[in-house]
Amino acid sequence: MLGFVIQRLLQAIMVMAVMSVIVFCGVYAIGNPIDIVIPPDATQDLREEAIRRLGLDQPLWKQYLTFAGNLMQGDFGRSFVYNIPVLELIGGRLPATLELVLISVLSATVLGVSLGVYAGYRPDSWLSKTIMAVSVLGFSVPSFWVGLILILTFAVNLGWLPAGGRGDTVLVWGVPFSFLTLDGLSHIVLPAINLALFKLAMMIRLARAGTREIMLTDTIKFARAAGISEAVILRRHLLKLISIPIITVFGLELGSTLAFAVVTETIFSWPGVGKLIIDSIGVLDRPVMVAYLILVAFLFVLINFTVDLVFALIDPRIRAGATE
Amino acid sequence: MKHMALLRPAAVAIGLMAGAVAPAQVFSQELVMGVRGGPESLDPHFSALGSHAEAAKHIFDTLVWSGDDLQIEPGLATEWTPVDDDTWEFKLREGVKFHDGSDFDAEDVKFSIERIPVVSGPTTTTIYVRRVKEVEIVDPLTLLIHTDGPAATLPYDFVRLFIVSSDAAKDYSTPETAAEGFNSGKATIGTGPYKYVSWEPKGDLVLERFDDYWRGEGAWEKVTRKEMPNDSSRLAALKAGQVDVINYVSSVDYLALESDSAVDTIKGDSVYIMNLQLDQREDTPMVRAKDGSKLDANPFRDMKVREAIDAAIDRETMVEIVLEGLGKPANQMMPAGFFGSNDDIPMPEYDPQKAKDLLAEAGYADGFEVDLYCTSDRLPGDGAICQGLGQMLSAVGIKTNVNAVSKTVYFPAQGRLEYSMFMNGWGTLTGEASYTLGGLAHTNNPDVKMGAFNRIAYSNPEVDKLLQEGATTLDADARRGMYEEAMAKTMADKAYISIVQLQTVWAAKAGALTFTPRFDEDTLAFFMKPAS
Repeated sequence: MLGFVIQRLLQAIMVMAVMSVIVFCGVYAIGNPIDIVIPPDATQDLREEAIRRLGLDQPLWKQYLTFAGNLMQGDFGRSFVYNIPVLELIGGRLPATLELVLISVLSATVLGVSLGVYAGYRPDSWLSKTIMAVSVLGFSVPSFWVGLILILTFAVNLGWLPAGGRGDTVLVWGVPFSFLTLDGLSHIVLPAINLALFKLAMMIRLARAGTREIMLTDTIKFARAAGISEAVILRRHLLKLISIPIITVFGLELGSTLAFAVVTETIFSWPGVGKLIIDSIGVLDRPVMVAYLILVAFLFVLINFTVDLVFALIDPRIRAGATE
Repeated sequence: MKHMALLRPAAVAIGLMAGAVAPAQVFSQELVMGVRGGPESLDPHFSALGSHAEAAKHIFDTLVWSGDDLQIEPGLATEWTPVDDDTWEFKLREGVKFHDGSDFDAEDVKFSIERIPVVSGPTTTTIYVRRVKEVEIVDPLTLLIHTDGPAATLPYDFVRLFIVSSDAAKDYSTPETAAEGFNSGKATIGTGPYKYVSWEPKGDLVLERFDDYWRGEGAWEKVTRKEMPNDSSRLAALKAGQVDVINYVSSVDYLALESDSAVDTIKGDSVYIMNLQLDQREDTPMVRAKDGSKLDANPFRDMKVREAIDAAIDRETMVEIVLEGLGKPANQMMPAGFFGSNDDIPMPEYDPQKAKDLLAEAGYADGFEVDLYCTSDRLPGDGAICQGLGQMLSAVGIKTNVNAVSKTVYFPAQGRLEYSMFMNGWGTLTGEASYTLGGLAHTNNPDVKMGAFNRIAYSNPEVDKLLQEGATTLDADARRGMYEEAMAKTMADKAYISIVQLQTVWAAKAGALTFTPRFDEDTLAFFMKPAS
């Protein structure tokens, strides 16, 4: 077990190091950030001064080594644009993304699995057919368009919900969360639906496919023969057996949504990290881009690691394999 | 130097019909603005970005105020006069209070000027004080500013010189501490119309009215400035009633809104003018014959070719079709009425046949091929204007490949001098010509600190001479004449070809408020009045 953890940690460090080099070189290849941010009336000497201040006059390898050296001491550097520590900048916006993503991914999973199991359990009922038909829409309609339509319908025409932004927040252990206030909830509904739609469709299809397959297996036949009630079969046997692919997908989706909820955050003016990274790319704010992508790499490694642990808890076969 | 009463920008006033507004909104003293961009820090000295200064103007005052038409007016300074060649005397306004109740005086001005070079970020604010050598306090309301040589444009430089409190900001004036002190509100003590309540980067700036403001009390008790970079989201928030006013309505939305009775639109002239720039180097990278072979010479160095390009551009069509009417044809790099704009410059005539003839005379009867570059995400309509240019030039025989790229790619490449023909929006934010001509039209010469943005190697010794003289001529009328002449000479050379002046559109809840649009596109809560 310990060996497994250490191996994963080494992998994570490798990924993060490679990531930082790629971003560093990529931004360097696009050009000098100063050319984008310098005011048009700046004289030649002021331009040189600004370049020198950001350390952009140094050769690339030297800039990278300085960055890596600071990183070893836990310092990600300061944003070129905001002049505040990068970690503070990202950290200040993380709660907003976190609550939006968790609410949407969790509700998509709970709802999607329930509907999917039903559709797999009674594949011929009209309700199942409706569920499957609607899930195709969830896949095929682009999410920015759905977002705009949601705003147009519920905010502009009906006026029930706000069109964007984040509502009132309350502090929980010093972190501001908005889903605990009524105003906050009303703001989170539309972006959460927008973000959840695709995942809901995917969960439905995954759960349905798994259910149909498992229902035909000997396990279920013997359980039925033994006189176990259908409800218990579904809960104890079926759910456990279909959960491995669902948890895998859940983990991947959680990670990618946390990192790249950009479209939804932009349309709904949600002050999360996705919007931050897009804006940073727009002005070549390299410290933010590098730090963010390093953190994302770390996040993915962490989530995959957790998923592996959960597998071991659920499936005795994997647990046995790990101890051998 | 007195404020010059010039023509106000053409403004479409907001309708005054307030019939259908709910009573709760009529008495509400709260203003919520949805704006495209925001400050990068609440330290006003950190960035020279337009949206940064716009946010700062709510909390802080500038020494010299720039009016709606960008001509200078008294701000925290009431008058300014050159004492000798390199000294200006500034008289300060009496009885001005900071938000914490303390008095504003010369110490705060000196402190602010000296603080700027220390805390400025990459969008450097040092430009505002680059001419200042020393600040001398004569008495609490009088300052002598010593400059490095005659600095005729000093009052114009000061239109974005924000004054912070020397007491409150004392401990927050190094690059490491400034953001912390100002973003948290500890040092965010200004003399402006609104007080700091809260702010988050890229989020909401919440403000509260300052009752002792020297211009008088603002109309709104509470102001929230929400950052919404996406055009559609901003409009949706207005239509859903979440915000009262938004800026930068796109031209497509503007057409739809004109027939919407729930929304008022306000149209104003913008300071931004689109200029086509033609590389004057002997060897230029992005031009070739139509068969791909190299040309003997850079065609843009031939006056006939430049005239042909000018005659090939149909500015009326550009405004009516490409910009949906949101613009005006332009014949020079600054709007009319600015200090140094020349009324005698003729509007170029669209004449495609003349363009073809001129090209033939220049020896390019078969035309040639060129890559045209411009931004697609910086100013409203930039990509579309570029496409239009490409078609117009191709129509007279110059095969033009249009490349509308992101500003992230465009500006660094332009800085590396990789382009031969490119279109650039330029806004004369100080309202006077040395800002524009000094940066673009003067030969790039670091020794005289001019021509830093002249990326086409344009060089006209007569223009250089006029600009250098102008920069040191303290007599305003004489200087105005020099700049007008320099503008005429620059435009006559047609290395810079001005195409259109943009217009900006705001939208507000029907009957909610009135204001006069500003040339610099600032959206300022203090100058918005509830309509009732």
